[in-house]
Amino acid sequence: MGVIDKFGSPKPVSWLLNWSRKYSLWMFNFGLACCAIEMMAAAAPRFDMMRFGIIPFPASPRQADLMVVAGTVTDKMAPAVRRLYDQMPEPKYVISMGSCANCGGPYWDSYSVTKGVDQIVPVDVYVPGCPPRPEALMEGIVLLQEKITNEDVRKKWTERDRQPV
Amino acid sequence: MTDSPSETTDTPSPLGSFAADLAGDVGGERWTADNGTVHVYVAPEQWVDAVTTARDRGLNFFSWLSAIDWSKHVEVGEPAADGDDLEERYEVLCRLSSLEDAAAAILVTTLDKEQPVLDSLVPVFGGAAWHERECAEMFGIDFRGHPNLIKLYLPQEFEGHPLRKSFALGSREVKPWPGTVDVEELPSTTNPEAGEAS
Amino acid sequence: MTQLDPRGIVEISDGGVSVELKGEAMTLNIGPQHPSTHGVLRLVAEVDGERIARLDPTIGYMHRGKEKLAEVRTYAQITALINRIDWVSGFANEVPFIVGVERLLGVEAPPRAQYIRLILTELTRISNHLVFASSYPLELGAATPLMYALREREFVLDLIESVTGGRFHPNFNRVGGVKPAAGGGKTQKKVELDLPAGFYAGVEKAMDRVDAVCDELDDLVSGNEMIQARAIGVGVITAEDAAAYGLSGPNARASGITFDLRKHEDLLPYGDFEFDVAVRHNGDSFDRYMVRIDEIRQSTRIVRQAIHSMPSSPLQAKVPRVLKVPPGSVYVRGENPKGEMGYYIVAQGGRVPYRVKIRSASFSNISVMPKIAVGQLIPDLVATMGSLDFVLGDVDR
Repeated sequence: MGVIDKFGSPKPVSWLLNWSRKYSLWMFNFGLACCAIEMMAAAAPRFDMMRFGIIPFPASPRQADLMVVAGTVTDKMAPAVRRLYDQMPEPKYVISMGSCANCGGPYWDSYSVTKGVDQIVPVDVYVPGCPPRPEALMEGIVLLQEKITNEDVRKKWTERDRQPV
Repeated sequence: MTDSPSETTDTPSPLGSFAADLAGDVGGERWTADNGTVHVYVAPEQWVDAVTTARDRGLNFFSWLSAIDWSKHVEVGEPAADGDDLEERYEVLCRLSSLEDAAAAILVTTLDKEQPVLDSLVPVFGGAAWHERECAEMFGIDFRGHPNLIKLYLPQEFEGHPLRKSFALGSREVKPWPGTVDVEELPSTTNPEAGEAS
Repeated sequence: MTQLDPRGIVEISDGGVSVELKGEAMTLNIGPQHPSTHGVLRLVAEVDGERIARLDPTIGYMHRGKEKLAEVRTYAQITALINRIDWVSGFANEVPFIVGVERLLGVEAPPRAQYIRLILTELTRISNHLVFASSYPLELGAATPLMYALREREFVLDLIESVTGGRFHPNFNRVGGVKPAAGGGKTQKKVELDLPAGFYAGVEKAMDRVDAVCDELDDLVSGNEMIQARAIGVGVITAEDAAAYGLSGPNARASGITFDLRKHEDLLPYGDFEFDVAVRHNGDSFDRYMVRIDEIRQSTRIVRQAIHSMPSSPLQAKVPRVLKVPPGSVYVRGENPKGEMGYYIVAQGGRVPYRVKIRSASFSNISVMPKIAVGQLIPDLVATMGSLDFVLGDVDR
């Protein structure tokens, strides 16, 4: 995106880019533990996450732009989390769902748990709860959408780690 | 633990007589039947034979296999009741049960702390393979004859045996229990006297 | 850092696993992040064309060290940890542990508390089997049952939430009984108000809906030719293998073993109710699916009987506020929706246990995979694994 790097983007253009991105987030299915069941319930008929534009759930990270880390991240799984995050193309967002992913949660003193996924990947929104209700996850997604609305495209491209895919 | 059966009445309960019969068949040194749970203690040399006999006698469902680390000094948690009189050892437990009724027993053997070695149960029960791997990585017990005794749960480069009482939890060293317990503080390494007063 | 060597030897950094190729076989790594492994399970399969020659599951990606953590938590705090072992059926995990502690203390929960525990356990069983019924057809390619089953599951979760306050990690048991329920008064004296108003009517309606969705699933899934072609005869487990590897629960009952802990153990008053044990005899994936649908129907039967015969009593026996359990060991097992789940508690007189060994059903259930996967096609492997209904929290604890 050399044009944006050089000239920045005028407000209407950046509004359009942000609007199209926030209402078509493709969520990467990264349910690890109990929070994955609440994520499934959030996609189920009663809470229906799909009305936010999160359709479909790609199983591959290469086609996703939102990774919801739902569940406990252990030290054995941490390299895999990082590798999958790296495989996602820019622009990408991470929601940390549940208290295990936020800070280690009820297993804060365990010998095999990573105390928070933000030690491995940069996180945009933290959703607390154990497990957070599906409505809480949807609030987290709405917050992320508000964050995207106010984003400056040029800053996002230059500030975030630009690692080769 | 006493040497004699822990029944105080003259007529043993059904569980007690079951335990006594089983102990007789497998060659157990002693048995207990408290709290609805039957323990039969065997010597390590007879471990595989005892389990095979129990299986042939009807306890053919392999439930689990694990160990207990009896240590005088514990890094985290509270020590054993006997205190300095405690005999330091590893106990390996194997629970077998029957699929016809609720009959079940836990076979227990005692291993030396310096050299914890035991024969593997994989020839008797195929399902023992994973349980023994877990026991080996958590306690450091060596199972002779196990086909594949590598780590099961932990990454291969993990050092130490977590369920030993000498294994400290790093996070608790750095930061004691953060919340306020509504009754009193739990003992921690920085405050071992906490919670003594009732 | 995975390096793909042209000669085909693959080294994985975290496990040090290196698998050598022999002849025509190829090593296929399924997981740990994969949509059909129900969580973080890694299967290293040596395949010959599409047939599996050897299967090596690597577990431990969800190992949180609960047995060590239990040594530094008080008995009441441990229930918060063990709720999350089998995370789909939260309440059913707590009951054997609490009953074990009660046996060591020599107290017994009052009858009303036992009935509430039983009702909640059966509701959890229904919820668990509905999750299975939604995700198993998804493995076989059918996406619609997911929506149907999860819709009905929400009604069951509403019931559990109205009583306990939590959807599936309720942490509702207390040593000696249960907590005064969410709709009730503040003290134990108001025993008639402990279950929320409208609970019984809500249960009746929910059980009707669950029975209706079982009939719908029978039409959609069990009678479907494609599901039958993919599941019948696939992944057969014999009764001898089931006993040797410790398979329990619906998996064992699909292989012809008529053993249900609800009929043989006395931690909950199942003896007061009439229900059948669902058994099938072929031991293949289709039977494992059908056994669970049968079990949902039996569970609705039990719940309907239970709500019509609730006794009146306090909700918790008298236990001291600072709970110190005298020295002793006990093993209590219960019929978790996934199989036999038990806790071996070694108490030494303190406020925390000396050792807690957690016997989880799924650990034994999937230990049979390397044996039965030999000679299967890869899609059949997916079907078999899905039919064993495991969750990684139960496997790895």
